[in-house]
This record gives sequence, C-alpha cells and structure tokens, in this order.
Amino acid sequence: MIGLNPVLVVGAGPAGLSAACDLSQAGVRVLLVERREELGGAPARWKYHTLAPDFVPVSRVLGPLIEQVTKSELVEVKKGCVVESFRGSVGDFEVRITELKTRRSETRRVSCVVVATGFEHFDARVDPRYGYGRVPDVIGINELEAMLSQGRVVKRDGSAPKRIAFVFCVGSRDRSTNPWCCTVCCGVSIKQAIELKRILPDSQIYMIYMDVRTTGLWEKLYWDSMEKFGINYIRGRVGEVYHTGQKLLVKGEDTLVRGPFEALFDMVVLAVGMEPGEGTRQAASIFGLNTNEYGFLLPRTPNIHYDSGREGVYLAGSCVAPMSVEEAISDGSAAAMQCVKLMKVMRA
Amino acid sequence: MRKTHEGDARVSEKEEKEKGRFIFERGYIDSERIIEPEKLELGGVDMSGRWGTLVLPRTIEQFDHTLFEEVKKLPGGKNIHRCWQCGNCTAVCPVAHAHPEFNPRYLIHITKMGYKTEIKKFKEYVYLCSGCGRCSVACPRDVDPKGVMSALSILFQRGV
Repeated sequence: MIGLNPVLVVGAGPAGLSAACDLSQAGVRVLLVERREELGGAPARWKYHTLAPDFVPVSRVLGPLIEQVTKSELVEVKKGCVVESFRGSVGDFEVRITELKTRRSETRRVSCVVVATGFEHFDARVDPRYGYGRVPDVIGINELEAMLSQGRVVKRDGSAPKRIAFVFCVGSRDRSTNPWCCTVCCGVSIKQAIELKRILPDSQIYMIYMDVRTTGLWEKLYWDSMEKFGINYIRGRVGEVYHTGQKLLVKGEDTLVRGPFEALFDMVVLAVGMEPGEGTRQAASIFGLNTNEYGFLLPRTPNIHYDSGREGVYLAGSCVAPMSVEEAISDGSAAAMQCVKLMKVMRA
Repeated sequence: MRKTHEGDARVSEKEEKEKGRFIFERGYIDSERIIEPEKLELGGVDMSGRWGTLVLPRTIEQFDHTLFEEVKKLPGGKNIHRCWQCGNCTAVCPVAHAHPEFNPRYLIHITKMGYKTEIKKFKEYVYLCSGCGRCSVACPRDVDPKGVMSALSILFQRGV
C-alpha cells in the first residue's frame, strides 16, 4: 500500500515469516527484523529435520516463506538486528533498530507491528535430576532433531545407541520449573522415535510418559509408534539419571505396576518444553505489552492471539503460548490480516 | 490354586508363613524376595537366625520382551502390542469383580514389559478367564484381551 509506512515484523520464525510473506503478497511493505543472522527461527536454529505428524521436511514448509520474503521487493529484511525503542501512535510509530554486531542504530517509521519473538527450548541444566550437561548421551529433543537431520544418530563415543529412553515433560508441567504443557513435545518425541526406529531398526525405544498428549490428528503418531514400530511406553516420571561408566542408569517408577525401575540405557532423550525467551521479554518491555504469570505475551482476550490490547500492535506465534509450527504459521497470517484491515482504514 | 499335592502345599504354605515372620509389616513383602539361610557363617562368626535374613529389592532392573514376542505369535495374542493400558477390559470383566488377582489389563502390561516376579505371582490366575469376551468388545484398540489370556495360558502350560 503505497504512501503508508511499512509494517514492522519482529522475528523471522514461522509466525513472523508467514506474516511478512502474506503482507508482501497483499501489497504491503514490510520491515522484517530478526535478531539472528539467519531466517527461519527455532526450526532453522536447531536444524529441525521434519515436522509432526506427517514427517514433512522443514524446508518444504518454511522454504517457500523464506524465498518469498527474500525475493519480494516489498520486504526489507534486517538480520542481526533488534528493536530498541518504540513510540508514537498507530500509523506513524517511530522505532529505533540496532544492528547487534556494529551497534549502529537507525530510526524508522512504521504503521503497525507484528510481534513474533517466539520461544526458547527449556534448558534442562536447570533441572539437575536428568544430569543434562553433566552426563554424556543425555540430550534434548532439539539436539536429536539436528542429529536426525544429518541422518546419523550416535552416542558421544561414535557408536550407535541400542536402548534409548525418551523422558517426557522435561521442564513442563512441573512446579519446580515450568507448570504449563508445551503441547508439542509428546508428538515431536514420538515422531523422532519413529525416525530413530527407521534409522536403527534393532534399537529398543522406551517412552517414559506421564500422559501422552498427541492432540488432534497427531494421535496417529502415537498409534503408529505402538502398532507399526513396536515402541514401548512406560507410565511414570524419571527421578534420577546416573552415568555408570558405560551406560545411563535411569531411575523411575512404572506407575501401572507400582514398580520402581532402575534400567540401563545407551541414550536418554529429554523432551524439553518451551518457554518465553529473552526476545519475548524485551519485546514486552519495548512495546509495552502485558505478560501472563509465565512470561508469555498476554492478548486482550485469551482466545484471540493477535490482539495485544494496544492499537496497531499484533501478536503471533509462540510468544503468546506454546504451539506447533503449523499453528504459528496460521497465527502469523492472522496477525497479517489485522495489519491489512488497519491499513485499509488508514488509507480511506 | 496350587497344583501340588495337598500335603506338599501344606508344607510350603507353612514354610512361607514362617519365612521372615518377625519382619514388621511382613505382608507387604513377597516371600520369594526373602532370603533366610538356615546356617550362615561370615568370617568365622555364626550369623544364623534373624541376622542373616536378606530382603531383595523389588526394583525392576530390565525389560524383557521374550514372553511378549511369544504371545504375539499366537492368534489370540497377535494384537497385544496395541494395548495402551486404559483398563476397559478389567472394568467390564465379571471375573475381575470377584477376584482382584485377575486383572487382564495388568497381565497384559507385565507380559509386555516382562516383569518376571509379577508374572510368577499372577500367572496362575490367567486360568480364571472364563472367555466370555466382554473385554474384547470393550477394548478401544482391538487388542482382544480374551485372546491374550488364552495365548498366555497356552504358553504357561508349555512352560514358557
């Protein structure tokens, strides 16, 4: 829309990319600011392999979005940059954008803002019971995803793991860390277990779960993992993980038999949860947004994600609540639509 | 339930009762986990009697899927791997209402995971299954618990 200031999109993950992509296709100029040096957000940063539930390669989902924002003349991409201040009113906000490497700042005028600052994977070092960071071969699902992208899953000594345990709800649904459910880690873990079973057919995989929350159509993953891939499920929570020289001793209870177990594994994969990151905290303070008790950005109405409660500032993606890539993409499009609506009013 | 001669059964029951009889809350410990050597000498010191009593931990140390694989080979048990432990089978089982020891959901789980002490404790209750098939109608994932019970009884009779 010629004559109007561009839309500022903060964060180039699935939600931000989707918003920028849709806006540019609707003829709106976009200023896309990304803190990191690459586009794609968490999936690019952690080198996600495929997406649940249908094992679609990440490149097939995010590739076209990245291509559109890179090629489009309407999108100005600013990598390695952050927003440092924000003032003014809708249609004519003034933002200061700083390049992290050079500390060079510039002031720009934007008509409205889409905040899509995303999430961070839970840092399992915070919860010492799993030995993450101290004990070899205890890894997070984010690290396993990168291994699966390479097509090679090995222990630290280079050998292939034979017995693998997935521990669900690490840094989720736990008062000592984060009390919310990350909504996707069950599905992602099961997707990974199936991929592991394809690479290492002789491996034995045990999912140690409290509930299996494969919502919606993701349930198929759960069924297939049992019925087609022979993946075992143990209901319980892991209390401790020890390193015994060669293997990992996992202590827990099979709550279906009231039986404590201490079993040896070659590799332990922690289904780490999602939490709001530094970027989301900064966005809250710079744009003057409300946060909920957990630090996620708080929409005016809990069930309407895009409405930040501040005119001209819209929210999208996992900075609002934990969500899957598919949901983040729809969230981005929804926020983009709000910008288009607003600009139509401004032009009239 | 014991299939031994009456006399033998009486002896073994008496033995079990006496084993570790002085242990506080003895009822919570399975007899097979109590080791009570009649004569024990350690470093020239006579440790016979209560001193020598050892209670083995009930910790599960490994998952053993051999029985599970055998069950899967039999027609009745071919869908045992589908079980997700909802307990619908036990809920509708008329036998389980009368005999708490007979719990099809539990039997399937200990078979899947190969919990040996539990299998030993509960294997003879498999024969209580009347084969009415209510469980197989109630099962949301078509496990056919009735078939699993018959597969288990065949395998136990074979001595697996």
